[in-house]
Amino acid sequence: MLLSGCLLVNACKKSGDGNSGPHPLSLEIPAGFPAPQYSFTGNPLTQEGFQLGRKLFYDGRLSKDGNFPCASCHQQFAAFATFDHPLSHGFNNQFTKRNAPGLFNMAWLKDMHWDGGISNIEVQPLAPITAPNEMAEEIENVIKKLQQDDHYPRLFAAAFGDATINSQRMLFAITQFVGSMVSASSKYDKVKQGSANFSLTEQTGYTLFQSKCASCHPEPLFTDNSFRNVGLPVDPFLNDYGRMLITNNPADSLKFKVPSLRNVALTFPYEHDGRFASITSVLDHYSSGIQNSPTLDPLLRNRIPLTNAEKFYLLEFLKTLSDSTFINDKRFSQPH
Amino acid sequence: MKLTQQLHRVNFCKLCIALLLVTAVISCQKELHFDAEPQKEHNLILKFKPVVLYDSVPLVLGQTYTNNFKEPFTPTAFKFYIHNFQMINTDSGKTFELANDKYYLVDFSDSASTEIKIAIQPYVYNRIKFTIGVDSADNVNAGAQIDALDPARGMFWNTTTGYIMAKLEGTSPRSPQGGKFEYHIGGFTAAESVIREIPLLFPYGQNLDLKPGGESQMFITCDANDWFYNPWDIKISQTPVVNGPGELARQVAENYSKMFTVDSVYNGQ
Repeated sequence: MLLSGCLLVNACKKSGDGNSGPHPLSLEIPAGFPAPQYSFTGNPLTQEGFQLGRKLFYDGRLSKDGNFPCASCHQQFAAFATFDHPLSHGFNNQFTKRNAPGLFNMAWLKDMHWDGGISNIEVQPLAPITAPNEMAEEIENVIKKLQQDDHYPRLFAAAFGDATINSQRMLFAITQFVGSMVSASSKYDKVKQGSANFSLTEQTGYTLFQSKCASCHPEPLFTDNSFRNVGLPVDPFLNDYGRMLITNNPADSLKFKVPSLRNVALTFPYEHDGRFASITSVLDHYSSGIQNSPTLDPLLRNRIPLTNAEKFYLLEFLKTLSDSTFINDKRFSQPH
Repeated sequence: MKLTQQLHRVNFCKLCIALLLVTAVISCQKELHFDAEPQKEHNLILKFKPVVLYDSVPLVLGQTYTNNFKEPFTPTAFKFYIHNFQMINTDSGKTFELANDKYYLVDFSDSASTEIKIAIQPYVYNRIKFTIGVDSADNVNAGAQIDALDPARGMFWNTTTGYIMAKLEGTSPRSPQGGKFEYHIGGFTAAESVIREIPLLFPYGQNLDLKPGGESQMFITCDANDWFYNPWDIKISQTPVVNGPGELARQVAENYSKMFTVDSVYNGQ
């Protein structure tokens, strides 16, 4: 009788899944960070899902000609921005429209893209995959390529229970990988935890930062996720009016997302179009280059006057936000 | 005392077995699903037919027609999202809503997608209502989705989050944009919403008297000409492209929201 009971129980299990489902992971939430915007509800974070997302992130087949994986514009050694490129390269020798942002602490982002056009991280990859000047591919074709591959059906089965490959699962996996990129091991973080000390110049820079920059770049994420016009004149070739293109509201003209300043020394060049090659140029802009316009941020009406010494101190502080642990983290590197 | 303990042990064993069996049976019930009794609902098959010129001419993708402004146009894609079907009897005021609302992408390049089968509570109805568009929450909060809302269907933008809720594309010699016209209509925020409820009366004197277990049909025509005209003038020569939410998208949506007509209904038993 006991035996038949056991048999019944076994017979009811779905065939083939055995006892080894995907292994759960949890998002690392650094001390002092707020609750994330994206908490993997409906897309449970697992080891297998993460690894699948990692493979997809580095796979050129997500692009039309095979040359443009996500990683072509998001390089780990540049904190997943494009190293030393104002604009990135896309399909058919085209430039992208904007500077590729670094990817880290993505689970805390409210909106994606410089203009906030994307409001859910799960669907963000649709934008670069289908943009004609980026990866230039159709989602349907990407799914076909993955279905015809020798390895992907097995990897999708490991992550999601069966070998079905569809856009939702692909997006879930990429979100698991990108959403797990957490950068919170910089010198700044170590100072906050009490395991390191700022030098005198860094400390002076930190104090200056708190009084002059932190209203838009508040700790610990170093962004308030808002959209602001920081007085950059329009590039006459790009004609990019930022947030207004999404909201169709003239009050949003020339507003762009406030980027996080974490890893800022690694993500040059700067601004939405990469017009500034160095942090010093950015500080020069805030100090003396701001151009007035109706939508200029009220906090910048009087500019942020800085002496050369203050710029130096600020620069020294900003360098402490570089996270060498993150850019060398093997979990996020190209899989072999 | 010893005997009592033994008895207890046996009882405990039996209890274990019984519990195991109960667990097994309960877990089996989840997997093996039996309908208690077949639902005596009535199947209604909605057949969407593309037309032009006041519902008089069937529209065939790739053929050339003329709009209200005498502009020749050759549609190559014509599709839209609908959901939230309701059947109404205006005399009794009774409304029947489908229990499980789901989205359908009616795509006139895919004939299978133009027939939608819904199960309706038997009753007499003289009006149907549905929504054209994708609700606000399903644009953003829901994240990556499948079935009709699968982005592999190409009904989304690559600059901003949100579904393209209706598409009409094609060629026209009047278009200053390389001879092409392209209306990708969407927008879900309060200010830019193109989501519209479409209430449709049946042809005069006709109604659907749905009997339990039967199957009936309803033909609904969709007039492409309506996209260009009334109340807003959308001329291909002036507005060959609408791609993204905003005032133009709202105008086109207001135009196309009157493109549907219940052409005929057939009561089946």
